[in-house]
Amino acid sequence: MSKLSTQTSKLLPLLFQHLDEERAVTVLHVGLALPETVEFFSNYRCKLHFIDVFPALPIIATEEPATTQAQQFRELLPFSSNTVFDICLFWDLFNFLDAEAIQALFTVMRPHLKKGTLAHAFSVHNRKAPQKNNFYGIQQLDALTVRDRQSTPHCYAPHSQRELTALLDDFRVERSVLLPDSRLELLLLKS
Amino acid sequence: MIGPSIVIKGEVTGEEDLLIQGRVEGRINLNGNQVSIGESGEVYADIQAKVIQINGKVTGDINGHEKVIISKSGNVHGNIVAPRVTLEDGAMFKGSIDMDPAVANAGRTTVAAHQPSQASTPQLKASGLDLKSV
Repeated sequence: MSKLSTQTSKLLPLLFQHLDEERAVTVLHVGLALPETVEFFSNYRCKLHFIDVFPALPIIATEEPATTQAQQFRELLPFSSNTVFDICLFWDLFNFLDAEAIQALFTVMRPHLKKGTLAHAFSVHNRKAPQKNNFYGIQQLDALTVRDRQSTPHCYAPHSQRELTALLDDFRVERSVLLPDSRLELLLLKS
Repeated sequence: MIGPSIVIKGEVTGEEDLLIQGRVEGRINLNGNQVSIGESGEVYADIQAKVIQINGKVTGDINGHEKVIISKSGNVHGNIVAPRVTLEDGAMFKGSIDMDPAVANAGRTTVAAHQPSQASTPQLKASGLDLKSV
């Protein structure tokens, strides 16, 4: 397993602030299933969906065989029709998708989101922010574990805040926190 | 035990713990017992058991009535339903996990409340004995 470090998070606790304890929380975690993440969620009545999209990057339309980006996301995210997420943990994903791919992602995700769905993502304050090649776990309510990916996706092209906000369908940026290296931590709310 | 060279296609049922070192395709139903998949084990089946420990490869849905443990050498592709799930460092998992700690805690309370002392029940170690009938 790759080198492990930790990172505090001011926004992660807000995802769990208003959960209804009477029903299970449904969570999408874009990335590898990690021991600490499963351990963290074992305190909640929950259904966790772990899907690592990164090995499939870049998500681009191809001619041979002819596939659209939306078709590729449908194969990667095969949720049952009754799956509706309370929390989506996108982590770094948007920094590795072009504008069309982000739109295709939300075309596929839209039926599985609801008003009030919360999401967490990392973005950049400055598009020249260096590539972070990490994947994340949840150590505790306000702390993430960070590991290095073994392979490097060659499609890092982060969006400006304005671009990303426009691309995020009807998610709005509820809060953002400036991090070192011109990175941003985002809390998104589906309206 | 299902040995490394054994291949089973169909449904496996019973009332004792099972270690799978070979290959099973179909369905495994050992509701009151533990199923362990050894490092050489390959299972292409839905599994139902009280405790499920995975050191090998499983493709299928897993229902652990008490807990599911995926060890560092484990590789699971499927959906897990269990009150408690443990993933060890290095384990590979793709799918969903449905957990309910309230059920896990209730289960622990029930087991603790009803578990007789070991000294008074040595015969319970016998293979295949249904504990619920004691």
